[in-house]
Amino acid sequence: MSDNTTSNRTIKGKRPSFFDARGVDYLMHMVMVLTQELSVTRDRLDTLEHLIEDKELLKRTDFDRFAPDQACLEEREKNRQALIKNLFSVMDQEAAELVKNDSKERFDEVIAETAKG
Amino acid sequence: MQPEMLNTFQQGDHDLLVKGDSNHIARQEFVKSLKGAIQQQMLPAITTAYYQRALPNYVAENGAPPENYTQARVAFEQDPLFKAYLSINRSSQELQWFSVLDPLEENIDALEQATKNIKPSGGSLSLEPNFEVPKYISSIDIHCMPGGYLGPVGAHPLHAGALYDRGVYLYAMGFMGPLNDDMGRSVVNYLKRKHPDLKPKKILDLGCTVGHSTLPYAELYPDAEVHAIDVSDSCLTYAHHRAESLDMPVHFKQANAESTDYEDGSFDLVVSHILLHETSQKAMPKIFKECHRLLKPGGLMVHADLPPFENMDAYMQLILDNETWYNNEPFWTAMRNIDQIQLSEDAGFNKADVHFDTAPMAIMEFMNAGDAAQNDEPEDREFIAGEYAPGGGWEVLVAQKQSKVA
Repeated sequence: MSDNTTSNRTIKGKRPSFFDARGVDYLMHMVMVLTQELSVTRDRLDTLEHLIEDKELLKRTDFDRFAPDQACLEEREKNRQALIKNLFSVMDQEAAELVKNDSKERFDEVIAETAKG
Repeated sequence: MQPEMLNTFQQGDHDLLVKGDSNHIARQEFVKSLKGAIQQQMLPAITTAYYQRALPNYVAENGAPPENYTQARVAFEQDPLFKAYLSINRSSQELQWFSVLDPLEENIDALEQATKNIKPSGGSLSLEPNFEVPKYISSIDIHCMPGGYLGPVGAHPLHAGALYDRGVYLYAMGFMGPLNDDMGRSVVNYLKRKHPDLKPKKILDLGCTVGHSTLPYAELYPDAEVHAIDVSDSCLTYAHHRAESLDMPVHFKQANAESTDYEDGSFDLVVSHILLHETSQKAMPKIFKECHRLLKPGGLMVHADLPPFENMDAYMQLILDNETWYNNEPFWTAMRNIDQIQLSEDAGFNKADVHFDTAPMAIMEFMNAGDAAQNDEPEDREFIAGEYAPGGGWEVLVAQKQSKVA
């Protein structure tokens, strides 16, 4: 199973820009890569379900019939919330700055002051 | 292809095909699915955005609709859906090559080992140590394939060919057939239908890369001696071993189609497949002249490529012109504006013996077996953005060298 990508992927010929903000170009490509990896994971899970069924350990329908117990429900919810917290962290950062009244000006002042003393 | 059809095409195996583990294959399958969705799902939405939003705005400002791809681009380039389409399409092309590079680099030694166990098929490989590769091939990586047709500097001799073979299958989403040979197969079918008396003894395929289109000539004209040239030593090396693996006798040789060292009148049939748009304004007339020189009297020159722009509306032209700017295809658009009939005449063919035609896609004929697939008059075709081969066929320029006057 391969998870490392090591190839030389440089393409001769300037990569065009698509959106006014270069960051959106990067983001669009990253979303494609992430979707590709999601697709890879789903294929792998599907392989797993097939193999389990082939070995007559479980039927594939058992996966859909599975009813999580309370402990499982709690564990899943905890994991989902952790995932979503990570997802929103960039916005949390901005909210935290607003609470502390932090600013670019303060950042620049710190740089200037540190340079002096 | 019907919208509800699930594309589960799989590439035909041979000893040289790069193998991967399940995750490698899953990444490649994703690219194939993504490309299908871009054509069948996203492109219709883009087309709607053009006709419903960009076109009326352009007409309101300019008093007339765009007449060509340049004007269509002005009309459409700021449209957010168009930008998203271009960006996702580009990523799909990059992921296509990247998804093959990893298993290729991991398994390149296994490929080399495989070449040692293949039995000779009666073909040959001839490389030129000091060969000068034309600038139009080496200047940028055509199709965004890392390293281009020549492969990265210092890469294994099989690298570029192996990357191209698997990558092209994903690009075509399997519509070129299990062996990526639909163009060659379609042209041979066409020739057998339109020129049943042609019994070629010697055939030359120009710009053969890994021999995808070459092999059908060896298969379907078994009495002919088939030669194939290309400028890439890596592609030719791979092509030679691949042909042997598939038990097809082909003589591969490193040569530039602008000027070869075959003798005058060596061939009954000289063909090329999607070669011309990878050359240049200066190279094309030389290639046509070389074809004329290499043909025996009465022999045929056939170039299969995509259609000239004059048959298409401005929007379709724009979608195709994107290849120039977003898929590293420097000559793609310029080539379509060249008068190839005139070029053939300048090369020595009689104008009356030169014409454009359509070779219906062999795979479509196969899928529609039983249906008449003879609708191959150029003026009857409709070009629909998103079709793998616009019009369901390959555009062929056919020219016959004048027979000797008795």
